[in-house]
Amino acid sequence: MSQSNTRQNPAFYALIAVLVIMAIGPVLLMFVNSFKLDVDIISGTSGLLFLPTIQNYEKALCDVLWYEPSHVEFCSLKFGGAFINSLIIALVSTVLTLIIGCMAAYALVRFRFMGRDTVSMSTLMVRMVPPAVLLVPVFGLWNNEFCLDKEGLIGGFIRDTMGGRGDVCLAGTHSGIILIYVAMNLPFVIWILQSFIVQIPRSLEEAARVDGAGPFQVFFKVVLPLIKPGLAAAAIFTFRIAWNEYLLASALSDRDTKTVPILIVNNMSEFNVEWGVIMATGMLLAIPPIIFTLFASRQIITGMTAGAVKG
Amino acid sequence: MRPALANRLTPYMFLAPAAVIMAIALLYPLGYMIWGSFRDWSPSQTIGEAEFVGFKNYITLWNDPNFRESLGVTLKFAFFVVTFEMIIGVGLALLLDRDLRGMSLLRTLFILPMMIAPVVVGLMWRYMYHPTVGTYNRLLDWLGLPTVDWLGQHALMSIIIADIWQWTPFIFILSLAALQSLPRSALEAARIDGATGWQQIIHIKLPLMMPVLIVTALLRLIDAFKVLEVILVMTEGGPGLSTEILALRISRTATEFRELGVAAAMSNYLLILLLGLTVAMFAFNRLQEIRAARVRAAVEEDE
Amino acid sequence: MFNILKSTALGLGAAALLTTTAMADGHGGPYAPYADTTLIVNFPAHPHYDAVMRILPEFTKETGIEVEVDQLPYLKMRERQTLELAQDEGEYDLIAYVVFSKADYVYADQLENLAKYFMNPKLADPSYDADDLIDGYVYNIGFAGGGKGYLEGKTGSLFGIPYGSETSILGYRKDIFEKHGLEVPETYEQMLDLACKIPELEPGMGGVASRAASGHHASHAFLLHLAPLGGRVFDDEWNPIVNNAAGVKAANALKKIVDCGPEGATNFGFGEALGSFLNGDTAMFLDTTVVAGQINDPDKSKVVGKVDWALHPMGTRRGSQTGGFGIGIPANAENKEAAFLLMQWLTSKTGDKMVALAGGNPSRFSTHADADVNAKFPHMATFGEALKHADPDWRPIIPVWGKINADLGTTLSKVLTEGLDIQEALDGVAERTKAVMTEAGYYTWN
Repeated sequence: MSQSNTRQNPAFYALIAVLVIMAIGPVLLMFVNSFKLDVDIISGTSGLLFLPTIQNYEKALCDVLWYEPSHVEFCSLKFGGAFINSLIIALVSTVLTLIIGCMAAYALVRFRFMGRDTVSMSTLMVRMVPPAVLLVPVFGLWNNEFCLDKEGLIGGFIRDTMGGRGDVCLAGTHSGIILIYVAMNLPFVIWILQSFIVQIPRSLEEAARVDGAGPFQVFFKVVLPLIKPGLAAAAIFTFRIAWNEYLLASALSDRDTKTVPILIVNNMSEFNVEWGVIMATGMLLAIPPIIFTLFASRQIITGMTAGAVKG
Repeated sequence: MRPALANRLTPYMFLAPAAVIMAIALLYPLGYMIWGSFRDWSPSQTIGEAEFVGFKNYITLWNDPNFRESLGVTLKFAFFVVTFEMIIGVGLALLLDRDLRGMSLLRTLFILPMMIAPVVVGLMWRYMYHPTVGTYNRLLDWLGLPTVDWLGQHALMSIIIADIWQWTPFIFILSLAALQSLPRSALEAARIDGATGWQQIIHIKLPLMMPVLIVTALLRLIDAFKVLEVILVMTEGGPGLSTEILALRISRTATEFRELGVAAAMSNYLLILLLGLTVAMFAFNRLQEIRAARVRAAVEEDE
Repeated sequence: MFNILKSTALGLGAAALLTTTAMADGHGGPYAPYADTTLIVNFPAHPHYDAVMRILPEFTKETGIEVEVDQLPYLKMRERQTLELAQDEGEYDLIAYVVFSKADYVYADQLENLAKYFMNPKLADPSYDADDLIDGYVYNIGFAGGGKGYLEGKTGSLFGIPYGSETSILGYRKDIFEKHGLEVPETYEQMLDLACKIPELEPGMGGVASRAASGHHASHAFLLHLAPLGGRVFDDEWNPIVNNAAGVKAANALKKIVDCGPEGATNFGFGEALGSFLNGDTAMFLDTTVVAGQINDPDKSKVVGKVDWALHPMGTRRGSQTGGFGIGIPANAENKEAAFLLMQWLTSKTGDKMVALAGGNPSRFSTHADADVNAKFPHMATFGEALKHADPDWRPIIPVWGKINADLGTTLSKVLTEGLDIQEALDGVAERTKAVMTEAGYYTWN
């Protein structure tokens, strides 16, 4: 705003151009490379002179394609399955986090039984816990303690209906991964949503209550619609973490519940770095966040600034 | 009486799910980890079977040169990353704080690196740093310059650059938001007094942005200790231990060396370090508020 | 929270049922009782096991036993197995294990002793011909409880069968060697000389492609040189002797190779090292025989038809590595007998030949001599020759090895990148190794 009247200098536009290239260059590079054969990527016959091929994508998606690509000898990657796992885990944990976080934020703001300071404090405390710190306990608990005996009532039922062997443990299930993601994201979501709920005038809620609405109805019919922007921001952030996370998922998932980041890291196996396929899987993993960024950047920025500036 | 009781219970009912989940999936695991850090615990044992060894894990770690090196790498990484990101991010914000037609598009493009999975960021940079086929060395080669052994001799620098790429936009956007919410009056007054652009920045903008900047820096600092996937994919901590940050070492100790007890103790060291930082951040915030209150009080007295 | 359990399990059950009805009357003989089983096996992502994937459909066709494969990178695979094998009931019916896991698994009683299966007339195939399996591999990979606990010996017995095993071999560029009139190196001195001469003769080309990245890779590359140069990690009393003259010589050899290697060599894992050879960036490649299948694959290699093979050069003795994978049956498996049948089928003469033709590494003498295999892969004869010098004791396979290996690997990486003094570095390794060994109780009887 300050110098809007002054004429912009060409160097300024050059700087912006450089910044834009730097920001999206690597992504574009990955996009281009994902359409190249490995030989083209490695040999370095540079740049844009190459014959685009969808072989890498065919190879990555071989388990969900309706035809069998001739160059794929056997389908080892199972990307489709991992993609579905990632979707289930990210969507369910986002929805759960939002519902639970929203309720908690509402209670904390409206019923004032903990100071806002205490909440921000504990939010920050939890925010500082790195996923790596959770690795050891979560690994131990999910595998050994959070289990149902297979002889027991519920455990036995699950084993009978679902198959599988051993005690029924959280590790290796979608639920196990979802649980830890919800827990990891809750503090942040509560924090963001609080700052939106605070702005809702109390009179609105009281009016509804006078009309005979109970606390839950007030919450769902009055409060929720008013904090939609906050919800959108929180949803994107939660989804992003659940979609992108690798470490804990890799400790908790088994062969049926692998998510895409695990698949990508696994596929960078040392015997055979297949850059083309890796880039293709990376691109597929990056598509949902890219879409969010393009269509909801306003909400993302709101979420980021609400998280830091108002905190 | 029943409605009253229901009313009294409502907040608890709203809070209960969150509290339960946090308790079983965050607090209990943290306690479990502290308990486990006093044990000689391998992944094939349950915690009950593991032998209690007191502070042995903590002492072993304290005397372990590899742990210390890894701690050093972590601190170096965090320091450089935050410093450069702050300088570049704030600098860009000051530069670009003007009415531009495409500003919102620009911001959108800038957030892209942050939204993409760290695993993917790691693999993009691993490719770009590749000694022979990578983008940078090819570019250097083309320019007739000597190539650089990015992930070999200069691995730490290379991962720092990658992190700067990914996270500078975070600082940029927050500083921009802070800049744009500065009181106009102060800036107007300065301009009328004939302050140059630099003087405005140094004497007015930066001091006014300071509280936000410090919170931003601390948030970023805390996050810098969490970085793992990018480095894992790019270097796996090598060469030597030159990029083995603590988070990575914890995960290697747990999975590769199969020493859960030691990994838990290491996690605790990291937590204590971060706790220190968080408390510092909070104390600073509080200080700031107190100072602001005092200033306000002084102003009111003046009137 | 349990409502979203693995849905695939259901689908699998249904698939198994279908096969039952289809196969029930189709097959008699040893496989008939198991024709309705689905085996879940854990294999590494590795060229040999990629070849196995190609022949597995044949097994299902022949026996009616379905096989579901969980393929993981091998270090990941080990992590997964650590967890699975410790359960009361595990998911895997058959696992491929890295050779150095042998000690851990057998010691923790997690692998089935194979004796009872080979004794069972209903399971054991009389035409199996176990004597045809390569001795060095069997003792190195499948055998436990003999000399030093991990070598051949009267007290030992069989817990696994080598499959996807490998030895080291020197690959070289025929064209480059011819162009400059170079001799194929016979000894370490010649090889090291050549390694540094090549960058001078062919600017931009490295001498030998070797792994060197921190951790397992650097350690592996070092051990590869240690045995032929006359060194060992331990003496017969388990005292660490990596820091003796032979150890220093081996570390020097590694350093020289990396210094004269291609660009970025200090951070090469196996994949990068192989990649640089495939890309024509180096003139030699000293590592496992596993790569042979890829050299002539035009999709991956730019040196098709330009590579020939020679024995691992000699130092004070010949000593090529033995390594790779074996397959075994977890003690907590569900379908142990069917798993044994698969294991036997894979390692039988026909199975071994099939996998060799599909690009895998044979583990039988007869396959190395087989006319069809040699016609398709002319290098097989050299590989068979190399096997005669394979050294089963080039690396100690004891339960604490993982930790020593990691330390050795990171320390050597420091030597390569940070210029740490070699003697000092190895002294440090020896000292820490001694501590580890003391704690593990190796000196109780001294």
